[in-house]
Amino acid sequence: MASSSGNDDDLTIPRAAINKMIKETLPNVRVANDARELVVNCCTEFIHLISSEANEICNKSEKKTISPEHVIQALESLGFGSYISEVKEVLQECKTVALKRRKASSRLENLGIPEEELLRQQQELFAKARQQQAELAQQEWLQMQQAAQQAQLAPEIALETRQETGAVTPGGGEVRLIHVKTSS
Amino acid sequence: MAAAAAGSGTPREEEAPGGEAAATQAQAPTTAPGARLSRLPLARVKALVKADPDVTLAGQEAIFILARAAELFVETIAKDAYCCAQQGKRKTLQRRDLDNAIEAVDEFAFLEGTLD
Repeated sequence: MASSSGNDDDLTIPRAAINKMIKETLPNVRVANDARELVVNCCTEFIHLISSEANEICNKSEKKTISPEHVIQALESLGFGSYISEVKEVLQECKTVALKRRKASSRLENLGIPEEELLRQQQELFAKARQQQAELAQQEWLQMQQAAQQAQLAPEIALETRQETGAVTPGGGEVRLIHVKTSS
Repeated sequence: MAAAAAGSGTPREEEAPGGEAAATQAQAPTTAPGARLSRLPLARVKALVKADPDVTLAGQEAIFILARAAELFVETIAKDAYCCAQQGKRKTLQRRDLDNAIEAVDEFAFLEGTLD
Protein backbone atom coordinates (compact mmCIF):
# COMPACT_ATOMS: atom_id res chain seq x y z
CA MET A 1 0.00 0.00 0.00
CA ALA A 2 1.57 3.26 -1.04
CA SER A 3 0.84 6.18 1.19
CA SER A 4 0.67 9.47 -0.60
CA SER A 5 2.03 11.35 2.38
CA GLY A 6 4.91 8.91 2.80
CA ASN A 7 7.54 10.59 4.87
CA ASP A 8 10.95 9.01 4.80
CA ASP A 9 11.29 9.49 8.52
CA ASP A 10 8.25 7.37 9.23
CA LEU A 11 9.90 4.33 7.77
CA THR A 12 10.31 1.35 10.01
CA ILE A 13 10.94 -2.31 9.60
CA PRO A 14 7.60 -4.03 9.09
CA ARG A 15 6.02 -5.26 12.27
CA ALA A 16 5.46 -8.75 10.87
CA ALA A 17 9.17 -9.26 10.26
CA ILE A 18 9.98 -8.24 13.81
CA ASN A 19 7.24 -10.46 15.18
CA LYS A 20 8.65 -13.38 13.32
CA MET A 21 12.13 -12.77 14.66
CA ILE A 22 10.89 -12.41 18.21
CA LYS A 23 8.94 -15.61 17.83
CA GLU A 24 11.96 -17.49 16.62
CA THR A 25 14.19 -16.08 19.33
CA LEU A 26 11.71 -16.57 22.14
CA PRO A 27 9.35 -19.33 21.16
CA ASN A 28 6.44 -19.82 23.54
CA VAL A 29 6.95 -16.46 25.16
CA ARG A 30 4.15 -13.95 25.26
CA VAL A 31 5.17 -10.50 24.27
CA ALA A 32 3.10 -7.44 24.98
CA ASN A 33 2.13 -5.35 22.02
CA ASP A 34 3.77 -2.18 23.20
CA ALA A 35 6.95 -4.15 23.77
CA ARG A 36 6.84 -5.30 20.15
CA GLU A 37 6.29 -1.75 19.02
CA LEU A 38 9.36 -0.70 20.94
CA VAL A 39 11.44 -3.43 19.33
CA VAL A 40 10.39 -2.22 15.91
CA ASN A 41 11.51 1.28 16.75
CA CYS A 42 14.75 0.11 18.34
CA CYS A 43 15.56 -1.89 15.25
CA THR A 44 15.01 1.14 13.09
CA GLU A 45 17.21 3.22 15.37
CA PHE A 46 19.89 0.58 15.21
CA ILE A 47 19.94 0.67 11.44
CA HIS A 48 20.18 4.45 11.46
CA LEU A 49 22.98 4.30 14.01
CA ILE A 50 25.10 1.79 12.14
CA SER A 51 24.53 3.28 8.72
CA SER A 52 25.36 6.73 9.98
CA GLU A 53 28.61 5.53 11.51
CA ALA A 54 29.40 3.45 8.43
CA ASN A 55 28.79 6.50 6.30
CA GLU A 56 31.29 8.52 8.29
CA ILE A 57 33.84 5.78 8.01
CA CYS A 58 33.13 5.64 4.30
CA ASN A 59 33.66 9.36 3.87
CA LYS A 60 36.96 9.16 5.68
CA SER A 61 38.07 6.38 3.41
CA GLU A 62 37.45 8.60 0.39
CA LYS A 63 35.19 5.99 -1.12
CA LYS A 64 31.81 6.96 -2.44
CA THR A 65 29.90 3.79 -1.62
CA ILE A 66 29.40 2.28 1.79
CA SER A 67 31.04 -1.11 1.68
CA PRO A 68 30.60 -4.14 3.92
CA GLU A 69 33.96 -3.31 5.43
CA HIS A 70 32.64 0.06 6.51
CA VAL A 71 29.65 -1.56 8.15
CA ILE A 72 31.89 -3.98 9.97
CA GLN A 73 34.08 -1.22 11.25
CA ALA A 74 31.01 0.68 12.36
CA LEU A 75 29.78 -2.33 14.32
CA GLU A 76 33.15 -2.60 15.98
CA SER A 77 33.41 1.02 16.94
CA LEU A 78 29.87 1.13 18.34
CA GLY A 79 30.37 -1.87 20.58
CA PHE A 80 28.69 -4.51 18.45
CA GLY A 81 31.87 -6.33 17.63
CA SER A 82 30.28 -9.58 18.77
CA TYR A 83 28.05 -9.48 15.70
CA ILE A 84 30.96 -9.36 13.34
CA SER A 85 31.71 -13.05 12.95
CA GLU A 86 28.13 -13.92 12.04
CA VAL A 87 27.84 -10.93 9.80
CA LYS A 88 30.94 -12.06 7.95
CA GLU A 89 29.23 -15.36 7.20
CA VAL A 90 26.59 -13.47 5.29
CA LEU A 91 29.30 -11.79 3.31
CA GLN A 92 30.82 -15.14 2.46
CA GLU A 93 27.50 -16.43 1.22
CA CYS A 94 26.99 -13.34 -0.87
CA LYS A 95 30.22 -13.95 -2.65
CA THR A 96 29.53 -17.65 -3.11
CA VAL A 97 26.11 -17.02 -4.57
CA ALA A 98 27.39 -14.27 -6.84
CA LEU A 99 30.09 -16.60 -8.08
CA LYS A 100 27.61 -19.41 -8.70
CA ARG A 101 25.34 -17.10 -10.59
CA ARG A 102 28.13 -15.92 -12.82
CA LYS A 103 29.23 -19.48 -13.47
CA ALA A 104 25.70 -20.61 -14.20
CA SER A 105 25.03 -17.90 -16.75
CA SER A 106 28.27 -18.56 -18.58
CA ARG A 107 27.62 -22.29 -18.50
CA LEU A 108 24.29 -21.79 -20.18
CA GLU A 109 25.73 -19.62 -22.89
CA ASN A 110 28.51 -22.09 -23.61
CA LEU A 111 26.39 -25.22 -23.80
CA GLY A 112 28.13 -25.89 -27.08
CA ILE A 113 25.04 -27.06 -28.86
CA PRO A 114 23.90 -24.73 -31.58
CA GLU A 115 20.29 -23.74 -31.69
CA GLU A 116 19.37 -25.64 -34.87
CA GLU A 117 20.64 -28.84 -33.33
CA LEU A 118 18.61 -28.23 -30.16
CA LEU A 119 15.56 -27.64 -32.33
CA ARG A 120 16.14 -30.86 -34.19
CA GLN A 121 16.46 -32.80 -30.95
CA GLN A 122 13.23 -31.28 -29.77
CA GLN A 123 11.40 -32.36 -32.89
CA GLU A 124 12.74 -35.86 -32.44
CA LEU A 125 11.46 -36.02 -28.92
CA PHE A 126 8.04 -34.82 -29.99
CA ALA A 127 7.86 -37.42 -32.75
CA LYS A 128 8.83 -40.15 -30.37
CA ALA A 129 6.23 -39.07 -27.88
CA ARG A 130 3.52 -39.01 -30.55
CA GLN A 131 4.47 -42.48 -31.65
CA GLN A 132 4.30 -43.81 -28.13
CA GLN A 133 0.89 -42.23 -27.68
CA ALA A 134 -0.36 -43.83 -30.86
CA GLU A 135 0.91 -47.23 -29.88
CA LEU A 136 -0.69 -46.93 -26.48
CA ALA A 137 -4.01 -46.00 -27.99
CA GLN A 138 -3.74 -48.90 -30.39
CA GLN A 139 -3.13 -51.33 -27.53
CA GLU A 140 -6.06 -50.07 -25.56
CA TRP A 141 -8.32 -50.41 -28.60
CA LEU A 142 -7.17 -54.00 -29.13
CA GLN A 143 -7.77 -54.84 -25.49
CA MET A 144 -11.26 -53.46 -25.66
CA GLN A 145 -12.00 -55.47 -28.77
CA GLN A 146 -10.78 -58.60 -27.09
CA ALA A 147 -12.89 -57.91 -24.06
CA ALA A 148 -15.88 -57.38 -26.33
CA GLN A 149 -15.31 -60.70 -28.05
CA GLN A 150 -15.03 -62.51 -24.77
CA ALA A 151 -18.21 -60.93 -23.59
CA GLN A 152 -20.02 -62.25 -26.63
CA LEU A 153 -18.73 -65.75 -26.01
CA ALA A 154 -19.66 -65.75 -22.35
CA PRO A 155 -22.71 -63.63 -21.85
CA GLU A 156 -23.36 -64.88 -18.32
CA ILE A 157 -20.09 -63.50 -17.16
CA ALA A 158 -20.87 -60.27 -18.91
CA LEU A 159 -24.21 -60.19 -17.14
CA GLU A 160 -22.62 -60.76 -13.76
CA THR A 161 -20.12 -58.07 -14.37
CA ARG A 162 -22.81 -55.68 -15.38
CA GLN A 163 -24.80 -56.41 -12.29
CA GLU A 164 -21.77 -56.06 -10.07
CA THR A 165 -20.42 -52.93 -11.42
CA GLY A 166 -23.42 -51.54 -13.11
CA ALA A 167 -21.10 -50.67 -15.93
CA VAL A 168 -21.97 -50.88 -19.52
CA THR A 169 -19.94 -53.73 -21.01
CA PRO A 170 -18.85 -53.92 -24.58
CA GLY A 171 -20.93 -56.20 -26.72
CA GLY A 172 -23.89 -55.81 -24.44
CA GLY A 173 -24.26 -52.14 -24.78
CA GLU A 174 -22.42 -49.24 -26.20
CA VAL A 175 -18.79 -49.40 -26.92
CA ARG A 176 -16.99 -46.43 -25.56
CA LEU A 177 -14.50 -45.14 -27.98
CA ILE A 178 -11.48 -43.57 -26.41
CA HIS A 179 -10.57 -40.90 -28.82
CA VAL A 180 -6.88 -40.24 -28.86
CA LYS A 181 -5.59 -37.31 -30.78
CA THR A 182 -2.77 -38.34 -33.01
CA SER A 183 -1.50 -35.33 -34.83
CA SER A 184 0.72 -36.11 -37.69
CA MET B 1 16.23 -4.74 -4.94
CA ALA B 2 12.72 -6.14 -5.16
CA ALA B 3 9.93 -3.71 -4.53
CA ALA B 4 8.47 -5.91 -1.84
CA ALA B 5 8.44 -3.20 0.76
CA ALA B 6 9.38 -0.12 -1.14
CA GLY B 7 8.64 3.17 0.48
CA SER B 8 5.55 2.36 2.44
CA GLY B 9 5.55 3.02 6.13
CA THR B 10 2.60 0.78 6.83
CA PRO B 11 3.50 -2.76 7.83
CA ARG B 12 2.02 -5.48 5.68
CA GLU B 13 1.18 -8.66 7.50
CA GLU B 14 1.88 -10.77 4.43
CA GLU B 15 5.39 -9.39 4.17
CA ALA B 16 7.76 -11.98 2.83
CA PRO B 17 11.10 -12.11 4.53
CA GLY B 18 13.87 -10.86 2.29
CA GLY B 19 12.87 -8.68 -0.59
CA GLU B 20 16.09 -9.17 -2.52
CA ALA B 21 15.55 -10.60 -5.96
CA ALA B 22 18.47 -12.99 -5.64
CA ALA B 23 17.80 -16.28 -7.36
CA THR B 24 18.51 -18.41 -4.35
CA GLN B 25 16.25 -16.66 -1.95
CA ALA B 26 13.03 -18.53 -1.55
CA GLN B 27 9.89 -17.25 0.10
CA ALA B 28 10.06 -19.87 2.78
CA PRO B 29 12.21 -18.87 5.71
CA THR B 30 15.18 -21.03 6.41
CA THR B 31 16.90 -21.12 9.72
CA ALA B 32 20.23 -22.45 8.54
CA PRO B 33 23.04 -20.73 10.38
CA GLY B 34 24.39 -17.87 8.36
CA ALA B 35 21.51 -18.27 5.92
CA ARG B 36 21.56 -15.46 3.47
CA LEU B 37 17.86 -15.10 3.70
CA SER B 38 17.39 -12.18 6.01
CA ARG B 39 14.25 -11.93 8.05
CA LEU B 40 14.21 -8.29 7.21
CA PRO B 41 13.04 -7.03 3.86
CA LEU B 42 16.17 -5.72 2.22
CA ALA B 43 14.39 -3.06 0.24
CA ARG B 44 13.16 -1.56 3.48
CA VAL B 45 16.59 -1.70 5.07
CA LYS B 46 17.98 0.08 2.05
CA ALA B 47 15.25 2.70 2.25
CA LEU B 48 16.09 3.30 5.89
CA VAL B 49 19.77 3.72 5.11
CA LYS B 50 19.02 6.16 2.32
CA ALA B 51 16.70 8.16 4.54
CA ASP B 52 19.86 9.58 6.06
CA PRO B 53 20.57 12.73 4.04
CA ASP B 54 24.31 12.30 4.48
CA VAL B 55 24.34 8.90 2.88
CA THR B 56 24.94 8.95 -0.82
CA LEU B 57 25.47 5.36 -1.84
CA ALA B 58 25.38 2.05 -0.06
CA GLY B 59 26.48 -1.14 -1.73
CA GLN B 60 24.22 -4.16 -1.90
CA GLU B 61 26.47 -6.33 0.23
CA ALA B 62 26.68 -3.62 2.84
CA ILE B 63 22.88 -3.64 3.03
CA PHE B 64 22.88 -7.41 3.40
CA ILE B 65 25.19 -7.41 6.35
CA LEU B 66 23.49 -4.46 7.95
CA ALA B 67 20.22 -6.38 7.75
CA ARG B 68 21.86 -9.36 9.37
CA ALA B 69 23.32 -7.16 12.09
CA ALA B 70 19.87 -5.71 12.76
CA GLU B 71 18.51 -9.22 13.08
CA LEU B 72 21.19 -10.08 15.60
CA PHE B 73 20.37 -6.89 17.43
CA VAL B 74 16.70 -7.81 17.70
CA GLU B 75 17.58 -11.29 18.91
CA THR B 76 19.97 -9.91 21.48
CA ILE B 77 17.70 -7.26 22.90
CA ALA B 78 14.77 -9.68 22.99
CA LYS B 79 16.79 -12.21 24.93
CA ASP B 80 18.10 -9.57 27.31
CA ALA B 81 14.62 -8.27 27.91
CA TYR B 82 13.39 -11.77 28.52
CA CYS B 83 15.95 -12.22 31.26
CA CYS B 84 14.49 -9.15 32.94
CA ALA B 85 11.00 -10.60 32.67
CA GLN B 86 12.15 -13.85 34.20
CA GLN B 87 13.77 -11.97 37.07
CA GLY B 88 10.44 -10.31 37.65
CA LYS B 89 8.91 -13.79 37.58
CA ARG B 90 6.73 -12.91 34.65
CA LYS B 91 6.04 -14.97 31.59
CA THR B 92 5.01 -12.12 29.40
CA LEU B 93 7.62 -9.80 28.00
CA GLN B 94 6.62 -6.26 28.64
CA ARG B 95 7.82 -2.90 27.60
CA ARG B 96 9.53 -2.23 30.86
CA ASP B 97 11.69 -5.30 30.33
CA LEU B 98 13.01 -3.70 27.20
CA ASP B 99 13.54 -0.45 29.03
CA ASN B 100 15.54 -2.28 31.67
CA ALA B 101 17.60 -4.08 29.09
CA ILE B 102 18.35 -0.81 27.36
CA GLU B 103 19.50 0.73 30.60
CA ALA B 104 21.58 -2.26 31.57
CA VAL B 105 23.60 -2.59 28.40
CA ASP B 106 26.07 0.13 27.47
CA GLU B 107 25.81 -0.47 23.76
CA PHE B 108 22.08 0.15 23.92
CA ALA B 109 22.55 3.64 25.27
CA PHE B 110 21.69 5.07 21.88
CA LEU B 111 18.18 3.78 22.44
CA GLU B 112 17.53 5.77 25.52
CA GLY B 113 14.70 8.09 24.77
CA THR B 114 13.37 5.98 21.93
CA LEU B 115 9.76 6.70 22.35
CA ASP B 116 6.83 4.90 20.85
